[in-house]
Amino acid sequence: MFTKDKMVALIFFLPSLVLVGYFVYACIGWNVVVSLSDWKGLTPSYNIVGFDQYLSLFQDPVFLTSLTNNLILISLFVPGSLFLGLFLAILLDLKVRWEGVFRAIYLLPFALSFVITATLWLWMYQRDVGVINTLLEKIGLGFLKSGWITDPNIALYCVVLAIIWQFAGYTMLIFLAGIRSISESQIRAAEVDGASGFYLYRRVVIPQLKAPALSAFVVLMVFALKAFDFIFVLTGGGPAYRTYVLALMMFRETFSMNHFAYGAAIATILFLLALVIVVPYLYLSFRREAE
Amino acid sequence: MVSVTIKNLTKTYGTTVAVKDLNLKIKDGEFFIFLGPSGCGKTTTLLCIAGLIKPDKGDLWLGNELVTSAERDIYVTPQKREVAMVFQDYAIYPHMTVFKNIAFPLEVRGEDKHEIVERVTTTAKLLGISQLLDRKPRQLSGGQRQRVALGRAIVRKPKVFLLDEPLANLDAKLRVKTRTELKKLQLELDVTTIYVTHDQVEAMTMADRIMVQKDGIAEQIGTPHELYNHPANLFVAGFIGSPEMNFTDCTLIKEGKRLWLDAKEFKILMPVEVVPKLKSYVGEDLIMGIRPEDLYERESIKEGTQKNAFRITVDVIEPVGPYLLLHLRKGCLSLVARVKHTRARIGQEVSIEMDRSKIHIFDKKTTKAIL
Amino acid sequence: MRIPKLRRVTLYILLVFLAFLFLLPLWTNITTSFKTLKDVTYTTPIEPPLTPTTEPLITAFNIMQRPLLNSLTFTVASTILSCLLGSINGYILTKIRFKGSNIVFLFFTIGIFIPYQAILVPLVLTISKLGLYNHVGGLILTHTAYGIPITTLLFRNFYALIPDSVIMAAKTDGAGTWTIYRRIVLPLSLLPFVVAGVFQFTSIWNDFLFGVALARGPWSMPASVALANLKGTTTVMWNLLMAGTLWYALPVLVIYLVLAKYLMRGFMAGAVKG
Repeated sequence: MFTKDKMVALIFFLPSLVLVGYFVYACIGWNVVVSLSDWKGLTPSYNIVGFDQYLSLFQDPVFLTSLTNNLILISLFVPGSLFLGLFLAILLDLKVRWEGVFRAIYLLPFALSFVITATLWLWMYQRDVGVINTLLEKIGLGFLKSGWITDPNIALYCVVLAIIWQFAGYTMLIFLAGIRSISESQIRAAEVDGASGFYLYRRVVIPQLKAPALSAFVVLMVFALKAFDFIFVLTGGGPAYRTYVLALMMFRETFSMNHFAYGAAIATILFLLALVIVVPYLYLSFRREAE
Repeated sequence: MVSVTIKNLTKTYGTTVAVKDLNLKIKDGEFFIFLGPSGCGKTTTLLCIAGLIKPDKGDLWLGNELVTSAERDIYVTPQKREVAMVFQDYAIYPHMTVFKNIAFPLEVRGEDKHEIVERVTTTAKLLGISQLLDRKPRQLSGGQRQRVALGRAIVRKPKVFLLDEPLANLDAKLRVKTRTELKKLQLELDVTTIYVTHDQVEAMTMADRIMVQKDGIAEQIGTPHELYNHPANLFVAGFIGSPEMNFTDCTLIKEGKRLWLDAKEFKILMPVEVVPKLKSYVGEDLIMGIRPEDLYERESIKEGTQKNAFRITVDVIEPVGPYLLLHLRKGCLSLVARVKHTRARIGQEVSIEMDRSKIHIFDKKTTKAIL
Repeated sequence: MRIPKLRRVTLYILLVFLAFLFLLPLWTNITTSFKTLKDVTYTTPIEPPLTPTTEPLITAFNIMQRPLLNSLTFTVASTILSCLLGSINGYILTKIRFKGSNIVFLFFTIGIFIPYQAILVPLVLTISKLGLYNHVGGLILTHTAYGIPITTLLFRNFYALIPDSVIMAAKTDGAGTWTIYRRIVLPLSLLPFVVAGVFQFTSIWNDFLFGVALARGPWSMPASVALANLKGTTTVMWNLLMAGTLWYALPVLVIYLVLAKYLMRGFMAGAVKG
C-alpha cells in the first residue's frame, strides 16, 4: 500500500492538506466553539455556556431583521439573476454578429470587485447629482426621482437591482454553455418536426437547462448568504437596518463591538445555511459523475 | 408522397463548393440514395431538401410546390414542409420519454390528445418499441434510440422521408438487420425516401435508384444495376463494388480489322462488336477496368497464345467467406481475382482468363467510360 | 434562422440597449474621473467633462499608491502559490490511484462553498498569533490557503482529460511520480494555469473581507480597503472616488480585455458539471 510512489505523493499533498485542513475545517470548528462561549470584549474567554448566544440571537430584533432581509434578498436576487441571465443567453444564442462583444459587455460587471460595483452604484443612486436621478430629470421623468438607497422603503430593492446587474453576466454564461451543449441536430430535428421560435425554446431547449440552472442556483444562493462587501460599501446596512444582512451583522458584532461569541454564533448559522444548500448539490453532482 | 425535383442547386461554404449545380428528379414513392465519400455534398443536399439550409443558387420542388428558390427569394421553412428527417446521431430529445419524443411532432401541430396517443402507440408497435414508451433516451441502446428517431419521423405521415446515414452508428450485425427492416418499412409506408450513405453495399441493396456524388458533383444517377454494370466514369466504377474493380493503364492497337487492348503485361483481343465504338481511341491513353469476379482461373496456358488470358503470379490468397481473393502481380501490374477455389500456391504462376464482355474502358484524360 | 419571424433589427436594438445599461455605470465612472468638482455638479454624469482634468486621477493615485502595491504583491504571490499547489493536487487526485481520493476531493471542494464568515474570527486570531496581522504576509497566507480548493478543482478537471495511457506509457518508460509530473503533466498545463491564474488573480484582487479583517493598517491595506475608505472620507468628492475606483479596476479590466476567454472558463468551472 505505501509504496515509494505513494509516499512521494503524500509529501506533495501535505502542504495543501494542512492548509485547507486548518484554515477551513479547524477554523470552522474553532468558530463553533467560540459561539458556544461567552467571549465578549478584547480578552478571549472560552467558558462554554452552551447555546446562550443562539438563544439571544433569536430574540434579537436586529438578527431577525437581518435574517428577513437575507431571505428577501435571496427570493428576489436568485430568480432575478437566473431569468435575466437566461434571457441574455437566449438572445445571444440567436446567431448574433459580434456575439463575443455583447457577451463580454454583459459579463464585465461580474469580473469587477464588489467594492467597485458598490462605489459605482453609490454614484448611480446618489440623490442630488447621481446618475439615475439626473437622467430621469433629463428625459422628463423627474417625478420618478427618489432617495433610492436612502429611502428605507426601497433601499433593499435598490441593492437587489445592483447585484442582479453584477451577476446576470455570470448566469448568462452558464446558460449559454448549457444551450450550446445541445446538439445542432436536435434543434434541426425540432425544426423539421414543426417547432419554431418560442415553442422550440420552451419545449426543447429550456427543459435541458436544469443542470446549469441548478449549479448557478447554488452559487447564487451561497452568495446571497455571505453578501458582505457590497452592502458594507453601498449602504453600510442602513438606512435603519433596512439593508442589514447577516454577514454584515456578524462583522459589526465581532469587529466593531467585540462581541466575539455572538458574532461566531451568527457565523455558524450562516455556515449551516450554506451547508443545507451545498451538500445536497454536491452529493447529486458527485453521484452523477460516478454514473 | 410526392416527387422531389432539384434544379441547378449550388451551395458554397466560404471557398469550398459543397454542392455544384445539381439537377435531379426523384420519383414518387422511390427509395433514392445519395451515395458518396465524406464531404461529397450528400448531407448538404439533404439539408437543403429539408429546408434547414438555404442554397446559394437553384430551385427545389416538393411535388408541384416550389419550396426553395434562391433566385426568386422563395423559401418555405422546414416547419411547413411536411418532410421528416432521421439524423445520424438520432437527435432525440433527452429530457422527454420515448412516448413524448414520438408524440412531439403531433403535439407541435396541436393534434387531438386521443389521436396522438393512438398514432404513437401504433407507430411504436410497428417499430417494435411499445415496451419502451415510458423510458428516457439515456436508458436505451443505440438501436433502440434509432427506432425512436424513426418513430418520430414516420408518426406524422410525411410526404418525404429523409435519412442521414442512420445506420452509421450501429454495430455491423445490427446494421445488416436494420437495413432489411428499413427497406420493408419503406415499402409498407410507400413514402418517397431519400437516404444518405457512404456505404456502397448499403446503397446497392436498398435503393431503387442511386446518385453517386463526389466533391459536390453528381457523378452518375441510375439503378444499382446500371451503376454496377455500366459505370459512367472511373470514380463510379471504382467506388461501387466490393472488392474494387481492377484498373490498369492500357492502349488500343489496331491489327487489321481487329483491335488489341495492350496493358503492357498482357494483351486482350477485343470482340468484333465493340470495334466501331473503340476505333477512334486507338493510340490514346486509356484505363481498363475489370471486376474481380470477371477474372477466372484456367488450366495452364502458354503465355501469349490466348486472346483473353495470360499468366500471372499469385502474391496473396485471401479467404473471404465462400470465395477466395487472389492477389496477383506481374511486374507493375496488380490485379485481384475472385474465385471459388484455386490450385495455385503463393509465389506460383496461374493462368487468368478475362470475361471480355465485362471489360470497361475509360478515357484517361476525361475519366469517362467509353465501353 | 431559428426565429425567422422576429426581426433582426429588434434583436439588435434590444442587445444594444442592454449593453448600454450594463456599461452605464462604468461609463459614468470614466467621465467623472476626469471632471472637476464643478463639472460634477453642473454636468450630467453621462456627459464628458467640460474641462477635462487629470487632477482627480493623480490625487487618487497618490492616496492609493501604497495599497495598490500591496494588493499587487499579495495577489501575485497568492495566485502563484495557490495555482502551483492546485496543480499538484489535481495531478495527485487524477493520476495517482489511492483509496479515498474522492473523499479528499470532496474535502477540498467543500472549501469552495463555505461562507468566510464561518472562519473569520479564528482566522484573525491565527494571523495575529503568527505576527502577520496588518502585514501583507498575512494576506498571502490567507489567500493561498483559501484559494487551494478552487485551483484544485480547476486542475483536477483539466488533468482528468489527460488519458491514463499517456501516464502508463511514461511509467513503463521508467518515469517516477515526480518526473511524470514535471516532464509530462506540467508542460501540458499552460491552459489550466492561465485559467486558474486569471481566476485567482481576479478573485484575490477583488477581495474585501479578508483585507478589512486582517490588514486595516495604512502600510498593509489592500486597494479594496483603501477604496472603501475613500468613500467614507470623501462623501462629496465624487470625481476623486471615481478616479480611485478606476485605478483599482484597472488591472482587472486589462486582464478582462486580453484574457476574458480564460476568465470565463474559470467562472464556469464548478458549474456545468453533471
